[in-house]
Amino acid sequence: MLAVPLDKLRAIVGPAGVLSGVELSPFVVEGRTPEAAVFPGSLDEVRAVVELAAGAEIPIVAWGGGTAAAVGTPIAPARPGIVLGLGRLNRLVEHEPGDLTATAEAGTTVAALQTALRARGQWLSLDPPEPDRATLGGVMAANASGPRRHLYGTARDLVIGMTIVTADGAVVRAGGKVVKNVAGYDLPKLFVGSYGTLGIVVDVTVKLRPVPDQERLVGVRFERLKDAAAAARAVTASDLIPNALELLDAEAARALEATSTAAPTLVVGFDGLGEQVDWQCAELATLLGPVGAVGVQPLSAETWVRLAHAAPAAFGGAPAALMRLSVLPAQVGEVMDQAAVAARARGLACACSAHAGVGVVIAALFSDHESQELTRVVATLADWRGIARGSGGHAVLESAPLAVKSQVPAWDDAGAAGRIMQRIKAQLDPRNLLNPGRFVAGI
Amino acid sequence: MATLTAARKYALQQDLEAILGRGGVLADPDELIVYESDGLTLFRALADFVVFPTSAEHVSAVVKLANREALPFVARGAGTGLSGGCLPAEGGIVISLMRMNRVLEVDYDNQLAVVEPGLVNLHLSWAVGPRGYYYAPDPSSQQACTIGGNIANNSGGPHTLKYGVTTNHVLGLEVVMPDGEIVWLGGRTRDTLGYDLAGVFVGSEGTFGIATKVVVRILKKPPAVKTLLAVFDAVPQASRAVSEIFARGLVPAAVEMIDQLTIQAVEDAFGCGYPRDAAAALLVELDGLRVGIETQAEQIAQACRDAGAREVRMARDEAERALLWKGRKSAFGAYGRVSPAYMVMDGVIPRTKLPYVLERVNAIVEAHGLRVGNVFHAGDGNLHPNILYDPRKPGEEARVVEAGAQIMKLCAEVGGSISGEHGIGLEKADFMPFIFSAADLALMQRLKNAFNPSGLCNPGKVFPTKKSCVEVGPVAYRPHPIEEKGLAQRF
Repeated sequence: MLAVPLDKLRAIVGPAGVLSGVELSPFVVEGRTPEAAVFPGSLDEVRAVVELAAGAEIPIVAWGGGTAAAVGTPIAPARPGIVLGLGRLNRLVEHEPGDLTATAEAGTTVAALQTALRARGQWLSLDPPEPDRATLGGVMAANASGPRRHLYGTARDLVIGMTIVTADGAVVRAGGKVVKNVAGYDLPKLFVGSYGTLGIVVDVTVKLRPVPDQERLVGVRFERLKDAAAAARAVTASDLIPNALELLDAEAARALEATSTAAPTLVVGFDGLGEQVDWQCAELATLLGPVGAVGVQPLSAETWVRLAHAAPAAFGGAPAALMRLSVLPAQVGEVMDQAAVAARARGLACACSAHAGVGVVIAALFSDHESQELTRVVATLADWRGIARGSGGHAVLESAPLAVKSQVPAWDDAGAAGRIMQRIKAQLDPRNLLNPGRFVAGI
Repeated sequence: MATLTAARKYALQQDLEAILGRGGVLADPDELIVYESDGLTLFRALADFVVFPTSAEHVSAVVKLANREALPFVARGAGTGLSGGCLPAEGGIVISLMRMNRVLEVDYDNQLAVVEPGLVNLHLSWAVGPRGYYYAPDPSSQQACTIGGNIANNSGGPHTLKYGVTTNHVLGLEVVMPDGEIVWLGGRTRDTLGYDLAGVFVGSEGTFGIATKVVVRILKKPPAVKTLLAVFDAVPQASRAVSEIFARGLVPAAVEMIDQLTIQAVEDAFGCGYPRDAAAALLVELDGLRVGIETQAEQIAQACRDAGAREVRMARDEAERALLWKGRKSAFGAYGRVSPAYMVMDGVIPRTKLPYVLERVNAIVEAHGLRVGNVFHAGDGNLHPNILYDPRKPGEEARVVEAGAQIMKLCAEVGGSISGEHGIGLEKADFMPFIFSAADLALMQRLKNAFNPSGLCNPGKVFPTKKSCVEVGPVAYRPHPIEEKGLAQRF
């Protein structure tokens, strides 16, 4: 096995752009240390690094902010390969407010992008967790989203173009720069959620929206989760147009507000003209009073970012495992209830929050003594996956210690579609060098 | 058909009838001719068979037979496509999905419906309308076009400005793969596992397989709708009004522009109340909450007036609104009043380039001695210049094709695209290099190989012929490869 040619990498990106040895500690994932971390400063440098690595059969792991680096199958490939960091590629390339579009380099953090866009009255209507670390390219690769997806959708609905460096070092422009485009295949869709397995995303062009006049978040407390879930369905069926609809069980709600008497809570966001936000808040109270709401309270703007961590932060310490269940929206309450029952039956604590309108449940499992309770954690996660499947969906184990991940697959079974995915991977990355082994269907 | 011997054709007909029954197979050239073109009549190609399956199993069996016989096959919906995408470019079997037209299930709690691909777009909105729901993508042909065809082309429509195109409304599909295997891509949940296969399937123009069931989102009808007509004495004023609306942070559901020639044609044909002397009109629709909609409508009216609108009318009731929309949606038919034929162009540009591009489009068409009517989705920069011509006049059609190529080139030059909703099909395959490099196309080809390695599923579409890859500049009229093979003719 050839050593990674550090000198050649340095020749491409400059000496400061290559990290090795102890400098690699921030890039250690599940005990695996990369052979080097390389930070190109331009599209051409990305291309040259990929070409070099491909020629030497060195695996490449694209790295943005590292927020999703631990997601995936913990398979140790033949060699750890190099981390290709996009952090230096962090420029806002183009923002034309009249076109409601912007192009930014992949390493731009979501927070920096939003700040620049907001200065001109616009925003990217995507609110993934950890916006200060998460990068635009990483958000695309991991298909990350947040509460506002209820109204504004996810990356697939907002991306219109990308520049990709393929596994063989070719530069490909996927999509375009206009908001409507059906010329050729919809390649950007292929890279959203592909976790760096098909190509390196170098820049991204997105659709924007004007910043709304006002935005407000309201928490509605219920005595029973069942009632809160019914309330979520009532909101969905009403004339209200919320931009977020989050259902939190009592445990997750505790992390949200510093109150001692936690209760199942429906968190609803509204935006628009002042009169629209006012009317909707009033209408919400009217609508939910008869279905068991015990209190409606405005929530602070900081609550938005706390929502992403409500379930894992419920008990202070880190959870033993975090699972994301994709289910039918109307079954969210039932799924959360079943998940809690399954955890309790094994003597474990859990907390769940959900994007109730779109059917995504984030379930955190907690244990006091990790090693002794491994069997119970593994059994509960298997139960949870069964619950998701029973609701017509699937579950992804987003984070857990290696001991758990070695017994519970990170990804669900993709079935026959998995074979098509494998064929796509074989076509685009025939030598299997891009983030090998981490993805669905063994990809 | 010349490609098959009579004996082989007879044997194949027996095989197909064994799968579909005698009523499910057309083989007589007199009947096949009905299916020789789509909405773009420039291209024609005759199939060996047209078949009418009623189930995924039927489709799968036909596809497996086609594979066994190495015969090309192509799915067809209502045939309203405008790029020749559903033509049997290399002969073979046309698989019509028109008998698979049921709404299989509506799940109001989860705001989704499961439908068959031959369902007419508007019929879905009719089916769910009584409960206050609708299907958002609304191509102008929605009274005839099918959901399956919409998927192939990733169709749009006026209201896709706010609500997105077909791909934003498809959750999953049951697909007969090009080798005959029946597979689900995506499903009923919003987040799917692994690569977004449904996302790449939508808009693949029938080259990745044949959808046999589709899970689509249905939306609640907005509580309030407000429709305005802004009238301008000059086209640049109307273009500026579009920019003004967006610059003020307003997000209408639709912003449509209609120019003078089109207004006059529409008024002659239908009398929808558009002022005949206007240089251009903008049809703007807002929807959403009842609260605040008056405020927003007034802001839009003001933006139009600030850009120079001489008049802004507000539809007072549903009847007035319907009449204004009738004018817009019937524009294509109305051109029959002013010209024996026309060719619809479909290109996209950044919104801010609208004033420049419209001026250039008019200049290009004029330079070819032709007239153009513009009626299009101004809000998302999706142009539809309609070049009017007389096919009986020698040389005129060739000039239309040439002007069209120059308009596509123009869209590419300003950073736009050569299709916003009609697709590439046969029509624009050779224009692909205007906006895509060889590397871009190579990646698309690899993706196609993953779905359709044999190439039997809808061959000859989307990708440029090898010759044009090295061509620079507008492609003038020349015989299409299928014409050279004697499989099709222009008229």
